[in-house]
Amino acid sequence: MRRMTRRALGVLALALCAGTAAAGPMQDLLQRNRALIEESSRRTIAPAIEAVATSGLPQAQQVLRAWQDKALAIDAAGRFWIAGEGAPLDPEGELAAPEGDLDRIKPNSGIRALLGTALVSFQLTDPDPARRMAGLDSILRDPEPELLAPLRASMAGETDPAIAARKERLERLLTMRFGEDEAARVAAIEALSGDISVEARGALNPLLATRRVAGPAGETPEGNLAARLVPGADGFGHAAAYAMLVDAGLAPPRPTDAQIRDALAANIEAGRVAGVPVAQLGDPGRRAAAYDALAGQGLVPPRVDEAQVEAALAAHGFHEIYLEPSAAVTDAARRALAAIDTKVTAMKGVDLGLDALSLASIYFLAAIGLAVTFGVMGVINMAHGEFIMMGAYTAYLVQQLVPDRTLSLIAALPAAFVVTFAAGVAMERLVIRHLYHRPLETLLATFGISIALQQLAKIAFGTQARPLTAPDWLGGAWIMNDVVGISHIRIAIFVLALMFLGFFLFLMKRTRLGLETRAVTQNPGMAASAGIDPGRVNMLTFGLGSGIAGIAGVAIGLYAKVTSEMGADYIVQSFMTVVVGGVGNIWGTLAGAAMIGGLQKAIETANPSNTLAAQTYMILVVILFIQFRPRGIVALRGRAAGD
Amino acid sequence: MTGSFLSRNPSVPVMLGAILALVFAVTVFSEAMGGGLSTSFVKTLGMTLCLALAALAMDLVWGYAGILSLGNIAFFGLGGYMIGMWLMAARTRDVVTANLAAQPIPPTPSEIDAAVAGQIFGVVGSDSFPLVWAFSGSLAAQLALVVLVPAALAAVFGWLAFRARVTGVYLSILTQAMTLALALWLFQNDSGLRGNNGLSGLQNIPGAEGVPQAEVALWFLWGSAAALALGYLLSAWLVSGKFGAVLRGIRDNESRVRFLGYPVEGYKLAIFTLSAAITGVAGALYYPQAGIVNPAEMMPIASIYLAVWVAIGGRGRLYGAVIGAVAVSLVSSFFTSGRLPDLDLGPVRLVWVDWWLVMLGAGFVAVTLLAPKGLGGLVDLWSRRRGADRHGADLGPDAGALREQEAEA
Amino acid sequence: MTSLLEVSGVSVSFDGFRAINNLSFRIGPAELRAVIGPNGAGKTTFMDIVTGKTRADSGTVRWGEKGLSLTGLSEARIAREGVGRKFQKPTVFEDQSVETNLLMALKNRRGPFAALIWRPKPAEMERMRELAGTIGLSAHLARKAGELSHGQKQWLEIGMLLAQEPKLLLVDEPAAGMTPAEREKTTEILVEAAKTRAVVVVEHDMEFVRRLNCRVTVLHEGSVLAEGSLDHVTSNKDVIDVYLGR
Repeated sequence: MRRMTRRALGVLALALCAGTAAAGPMQDLLQRNRALIEESSRRTIAPAIEAVATSGLPQAQQVLRAWQDKALAIDAAGRFWIAGEGAPLDPEGELAAPEGDLDRIKPNSGIRALLGTALVSFQLTDPDPARRMAGLDSILRDPEPELLAPLRASMAGETDPAIAARKERLERLLTMRFGEDEAARVAAIEALSGDISVEARGALNPLLATRRVAGPAGETPEGNLAARLVPGADGFGHAAAYAMLVDAGLAPPRPTDAQIRDALAANIEAGRVAGVPVAQLGDPGRRAAAYDALAGQGLVPPRVDEAQVEAALAAHGFHEIYLEPSAAVTDAARRALAAIDTKVTAMKGVDLGLDALSLASIYFLAAIGLAVTFGVMGVINMAHGEFIMMGAYTAYLVQQLVPDRTLSLIAALPAAFVVTFAAGVAMERLVIRHLYHRPLETLLATFGISIALQQLAKIAFGTQARPLTAPDWLGGAWIMNDVVGISHIRIAIFVLALMFLGFFLFLMKRTRLGLETRAVTQNPGMAASAGIDPGRVNMLTFGLGSGIAGIAGVAIGLYAKVTSEMGADYIVQSFMTVVVGGVGNIWGTLAGAAMIGGLQKAIETANPSNTLAAQTYMILVVILFIQFRPRGIVALRGRAAGD
Repeated sequence: MTGSFLSRNPSVPVMLGAILALVFAVTVFSEAMGGGLSTSFVKTLGMTLCLALAALAMDLVWGYAGILSLGNIAFFGLGGYMIGMWLMAARTRDVVTANLAAQPIPPTPSEIDAAVAGQIFGVVGSDSFPLVWAFSGSLAAQLALVVLVPAALAAVFGWLAFRARVTGVYLSILTQAMTLALALWLFQNDSGLRGNNGLSGLQNIPGAEGVPQAEVALWFLWGSAAALALGYLLSAWLVSGKFGAVLRGIRDNESRVRFLGYPVEGYKLAIFTLSAAITGVAGALYYPQAGIVNPAEMMPIASIYLAVWVAIGGRGRLYGAVIGAVAVSLVSSFFTSGRLPDLDLGPVRLVWVDWWLVMLGAGFVAVTLLAPKGLGGLVDLWSRRRGADRHGADLGPDAGALREQEAEA
Repeated sequence: MTSLLEVSGVSVSFDGFRAINNLSFRIGPAELRAVIGPNGAGKTTFMDIVTGKTRADSGTVRWGEKGLSLTGLSEARIAREGVGRKFQKPTVFEDQSVETNLLMALKNRRGPFAALIWRPKPAEMERMRELAGTIGLSAHLARKAGELSHGQKQWLEIGMLLAQEPKLLLVDEPAAGMTPAEREKTTEILVEAAKTRAVVVVEHDMEFVRRLNCRVTVLHEGSVLAEGSLDHVTSNKDVIDVYLGR
């Protein structure tokens, strides 16, 4: 009654305000379809949406969106309004005053989906390329058969070549799933063969979705058969097979041990269950007998023993059926996926190679300082890892002082070098100098220093990991395709490793210090007679090795975490790198780093679930490797190698 | 090599007497006997004796054969794991059986097994016994494994390493890597040994539920003391005969021994394997007193402690290893007990628990630099044993304790 | 004449440098032989090959009447076959007594287990004292080897070699750093030893070689340049060229 009154008042108001609330073409159009719109039924709404969408009116998209957002409303006068966040607009997009309260039209989800589809064609023809791209992305996220038509329609008018290519590709993805004719679908699938993108794989895989059916033996079920399943083979266990039979009502359920126990407990009468004393039920045979007796009385479902399970399985056949009915389509999809898999495997190999390369760079960086102190000077420095840590913490402190990430990184590299160089020189002067020719004691003394430094860092910085943030330009990743990619930090570390290799070669082969170092290494007495101060050379060499460790620490800190134990994480690998590579040769260190890094990645790939085990296996492989090349990959031979 | 056993090993009666005196005194004053020594202190002493035994085994390979093995802590941990498997399985079985007995229906054997497995392996998301626990039901088998598993690992590893003539620091690093590999393997849940949880509740001895811990602690003290005494006797016998002479020969001049016709690898392998077995026994006695064994015990840092004890005590002499292990571990437990008040030094607050490691590290460097003979060197002062006059700088114990060859610049 | 050791066509090179080049050498069961040659002639490498320290790249090393091949055997195995070697620097176990040094060297079963249960038998002690007498160290049995003088250490090492009862003794520059009196005694010991076994002495010192009064093999650049009596080789033109330079 009240509604009627409001209508009447509305009509009256419409007559009165005809000048203010303009009756435009969209309002007219909506009024023509008002009955359908107000009925708001999934089955009948299509013509109304179609009418708006194809009207060619500029406001069509806005109206459809408002409708979808439940913002299309009718006022008391029966006129349509767009009730957004602010003041309501009339369908022509002009501000005006509605009559009385607005009654919002609430389309159900089915209608909203239809509206979405209609909107997509607007988006796909939007003048703004970004909107068009966003529209394509939304289709990819949520592919629907209905989207195929608007997509195809939009392709003809596309001017942007990149978007055109994308549309074409998307059209293929949709066609192969929802296309009406089999040949077109197969063609679309075949066009994707060898495409390793995630979206291609994502589109192909659903085509091969299957379901499992159980039926009498010897009978082949209806449908596009994928495989015949044999219980007990290929991850299709007896238990799973029997469960399928039970689910299909083809076999009685099997009481579990727990159910049997509960059933027995529920049927205890005067200390006995079906005549068997409770105390004897710990014996599996007696327990079974008691339960069978209960089953015989009809109190519990009967037991199903192994033989019965076997018989039931033998009496039935199990098949896997494709959800997709067309065999031609599934065959094509299988072939395409196989081709893609081959390519993806190859690409994964490339990606693995990149990963291994970057890991090798890190090991090389960590080990190069060690190669100097251990390889060139023959000094075991177990505190080498702590120098790496000191470098990383130095960079962290610099970052606290200099807020600009790029500047702080540039400042941190020399700062880390200076700090660890000084620490290395101090350690050489105070400790190692006194322990030349006592390698095992050097090992132990430097280990003592390592313990002390680690604990000092723990006291100074706490056990929490400290962040060392890379500048933004190092934050991204270089992505070749959906399989192969590598982060910029890893590339930077690789470049840094190359620079160090060059620097080291230059230093050793082209500078006075390098010459003196080599001289002292080969014959300290002779070098001293030639006027070289072995003490000074040893000090500088050790400082240099430590300084390089400090810079490596900055790089590793950017890539991993900065903790007091980060050095300890790398020390064993670093030593292995030097030992495997061959002592006293920078190329050996490089080869060692490549081998350890590559090996670790390869083992991790072969056993992806378990990186701890991968490290174990890697160490075992290295121990075995030492059997065949006790002096490392690049070995000095003969009398020069010494014994 | 000639003369009676005691004349060759004057330290044996002193050491055995000291062990006996310690055990007697502790027993008399222990809580179990109504004395004032706390149970935790008795346990600390018992554990210290085990550490001394492990240090003794370390001295055999390092001090006598010159192999700085950083893998001995792995053998120590393995010994603990082997006995821990029986302790945990047997104890859990007792508890589970008692629990299941309260249910209306008595459990079948397989139900008990499943419940025990669920109890033990629930933390790593498994509910059945892994293969490595096959013998966990038998005390005798696990006791045998305490010796056999470390010995087998040492034999395989040693055979590979010695055959390839890996020596010196290379060997140290390789043994370190072996320890790390074992620790990492044990850290993963699939290892079947409860991953980083390790084995726990080992202080509860199955079948001794009614016995107070104070008394159990005494049992273990006696057991540890007996093991140390036997280990000392065995070691003294080993190193004072021709076998010991060959070992020291290998340490000081491996190629000379080889050209005398001795199979050096065989000797190294024998002493390394034996040392592993002794260390395994030490670990098996240690961990029931500690109550828990987990892979963190075997991380590289732990492996160096054994070497530190021997170095501080003075290597190449059996009593040195014992003195070093006892002194350092007692001082360590004193500083880390938290009983010492913190020291306020203006800007820095000296928390002993934190600073102890720094002191240990620095002190160790100092011992290496200033007193290479370790605490055992004090005995030399007292006994006026002097080294030969050297014609060059001191080469330290590594390069052959007594060598005329001049130290190079 | 049957030969005890027969080296034929052996070559070995280190990083491209040919230390031994197609070397052939033979020695009988009871013979004293001196090997001389300038520095880098391959004398030490030759010993390394015979004792198994260095593997030959090609060629054969035959041993004893049965013609056992020594290439590929371990140093210890070769030593047990009866090849004793004395190094250039005296290498004795300096931390152990002279007595222990000699007892360790006495011919015996060498395995670890045999060593564990070994107790000195009276006959062995007797043999040890006898050897100590031969090398003039009877008064120093209880002293540590490290305390001995340089010459005494050299003798101790020779004594240890004799204790091994080898069939072939390879001695590298035994007289280096000895006083004339010590050289005299060393010569005596070596000549005496060569009566019952083969002895190869590598030496620089021509005076010492002359006193040994034996056949001489001259090595040069890894192969045999000349062989014969000392007078014979010293009159050889090639040898003069090599020693005096061209």
